Amino acid sequence: MAEVRYEAASRLYPGAEEPAVNKLNLDIADGELLVLVGPSGCGKSTALRMLAGLETVTSGSVHINGVDVTLKPPQDRDIAMVFQNYALYPSMTVAQNMGFALKQAKVPKAEREAQVREAARILDLTEYLDRKPKNLSGGQRQRVAMGRAIVRKPQVFLMDEPLSNLDAKLRVQTRTELVDLQARLGVTTVYVTHDQVEAMTMGDRVAVLKFGELQQVDAPRTLYSAPANKFVAGFIGSPAMNLLDAEDVDGAPGIAGAAIPLEESVLSQLKSQDLDQVAVGVRPEHLTLGTTGIEGEVTVVEELGSESFVHVTVSHRGEPTTLVVRDRGETETGRGDRVKVDFGGPIHVFGSDGLRVEA
Amino acid sequence: MTSATTSSAAAISHEEEVRRLERREGWKRRLPILPALIFTIVVTQIPFLFTLFYSLTEWRLDKPDPRKFIGVDNYASLPGDKFFRDAAWVSVQMTVMAVLFSLIVGTLLAILLDRKFFGQGLIRTLLITPFLVMPVVAGFMWKTQMFNATFGVINWVLNLFGFDSIEFATRFPLASVVVVLVWQWSPFMMLIVLAGLQGQDQSVLEAARVDGATTWGSFRQITLPQLRPFLELGTLLGAIYLIQVYDHIEVIVGGQPGAKNLPFYIAQRSIGGGNRFGLASSYSIIVVIASIIIANIGLRVLSNLLEDDS
Ligand SMILES: Nc1ncnc2c1ncn2[C@@H]1O[C@H](COP(=O)(O)OP(=O)(O)OP(=O)(O)O)[C@@H](O)[C@H]1O
Ligand SMILES: [Mg+2]
Repeated sequence: MAEVRYEAASRLYPGAEEPAVNKLNLDIADGELLVLVGPSGCGKSTALRMLAGLETVTSGSVHINGVDVTLKPPQDRDIAMVFQNYALYPSMTVAQNMGFALKQAKVPKAEREAQVREAARILDLTEYLDRKPKNLSGGQRQRVAMGRAIVRKPQVFLMDEPLSNLDAKLRVQTRTELVDLQARLGVTTVYVTHDQVEAMTMGDRVAVLKFGELQQVDAPRTLYSAPANKFVAGFIGSPAMNLLDAEDVDGAPGIAGAAIPLEESVLSQLKSQDLDQVAVGVRPEHLTLGTTGIEGEVTVVEELGSESFVHVTVSHRGEPTTLVVRDRGETETGRGDRVKVDFGGPIHVFGSDGLRVEA
Repeated sequence: MTSATTSSAAAISHEEEVRRLERREGWKRRLPILPALIFTIVVTQIPFLFTLFYSLTEWRLDKPDPRKFIGVDNYASLPGDKFFRDAAWVSVQMTVMAVLFSLIVGTLLAILLDRKFFGQGLIRTLLITPFLVMPVVAGFMWKTQMFNATFGVINWVLNLFGFDSIEFATRFPLASVVVVLVWQWSPFMMLIVLAGLQGQDQSVLEAARVDGATTWGSFRQITLPQLRPFLELGTLLGAIYLIQVYDHIEVIVGGQPGAKNLPFYIAQRSIGGGNRFGLASSYSIIVVIASIIIANIGLRVLSNLLEDDS
């Protein structure tokens, strides 16, 4: 058990112009499940591998439990890693796979077997202990990879998209099992995913990366309700936030000719800014269909049963622009209907620098 | 009633149609490999059958009766034939040593090559060249430039350190031949093992590092088992080729005792002046059978060696 700290840690690949991870500062508490999320190629795996010791830290440092491990090889860091493709040892049985690390640590055979059996029991793998990985299903392999990690009782778990090879249903199920297991074991965990839903549902806190730079690290709810910048606002949430460049409506930011109801403090902060450069964001659930508001035409209705997402095309800054509105079945709308969209909740404003304007 | 009959008749003709199409599909697949298959049968299986037949005859050029069928008499005489037994023993030693050592040297070279360094491609090409040298040329090179008591490089080095010259080919005929065979065959083994090493999943090795394995530990426990099919392939192909070695022996040690293997003895007893074609044919058959057995034993032994220690 341990806390983890990245201190201005960077990784510049040989031959690359920009660092894959740029001056990452991150404090992860003991027992916390921190999720690293971001679009493909943003440096999540690189950041994780720097912590594992599989990737050189070109500047800055990495600490585990207060000890600077920047220059230590992986075997001296007391970490366990779950790889995206599981990386099971193909010539060994499930039991040997899970006992491998203990064997390297020269744990006596009897004790080793007891620990493997215990881990297998937790993960429901007991009946597969004598099988080779190639004779297992994807979900079972994933559990073996988990088992290999938990048998060790390491200081930190590192997981690189461990669920991405599972089908959608199994992924959702495994997600909750994993969170539960992590909480029970209480081992500090860094979890990488590109799926923001996975990040939101699993993380105690979520760190959003873009082009190797940390954008925001916060609890999922905060990330959702108070995104620090335009990128986080657009990345977190499904369907995505309606994020538009504002237009100038009588000296205040507006959408499709309608002024947005904003607090006085926000408006005063925008005084000095060019309103064309300001962005406004509204989540679909904070827009309503009704008898007042911006007029537009329904182009698509995504029906999910419990709710539907209505795509309304409005004329904004002289161009057709789509607003997505969540509808809980209060109104019956179909393609081609003329409707009115009104604001019914918090509105996010991002200044010309892309940063959130707090009320 | 009528309609039912027509429909079942239609069904049958439909089935026939499907079968006809399948047959045609089968021929489409078989036809392209047919020439190669016929060629292979003509140049390998038919001569083999002839040899088998000759081995059951007494056929000597110095006798008036050209070919007399004598059943298994040739084979029956083999156990009592001291020359045959010696040649067989040399064959076994030569093949086993050459395969084993070239496999070890090849594996070591492959491990050295399986990492990025400047000039890697050039070094790899240079290391492969011995395999591309013709056997006769290789034999001559080693005999005249390395082993020779007066001009050889090895003796020159020995002399530098104050040792007397050794006539290697005469003093250690078998070892001399094996050295040259290993020199020629290590590159082949290296290429096979290198293919195995480069096909390895890197993340598995990373996982082993994270799990605390040392370099040697992950080589022994992870890389080696994964190399197993490649080592088996090398053993198999190496054994099949090396059991038939002739040129190196002819050039390096000639007809001296101590390094005469079965193929050499076969040639000597037939076209090499012995003129006993029937008997020599029976040796050939033994060599073929031995190849199969040696290859099998080799594979078995190797598999046991690499069996996971649990
Ligand atoms: N070995 C390498 N050499 C050079 N560049 C690399 C190397 N590995 C990764 N990169 C680059 O570094 C950047 C970050 O890669 P990384 O694998 O960390 O992305 P990621 O966030 O994990 O993406 P994904 O979600 O697709 O796995 C990418 O632009 C990638 O091209
Ligand atoms: Mg990745």
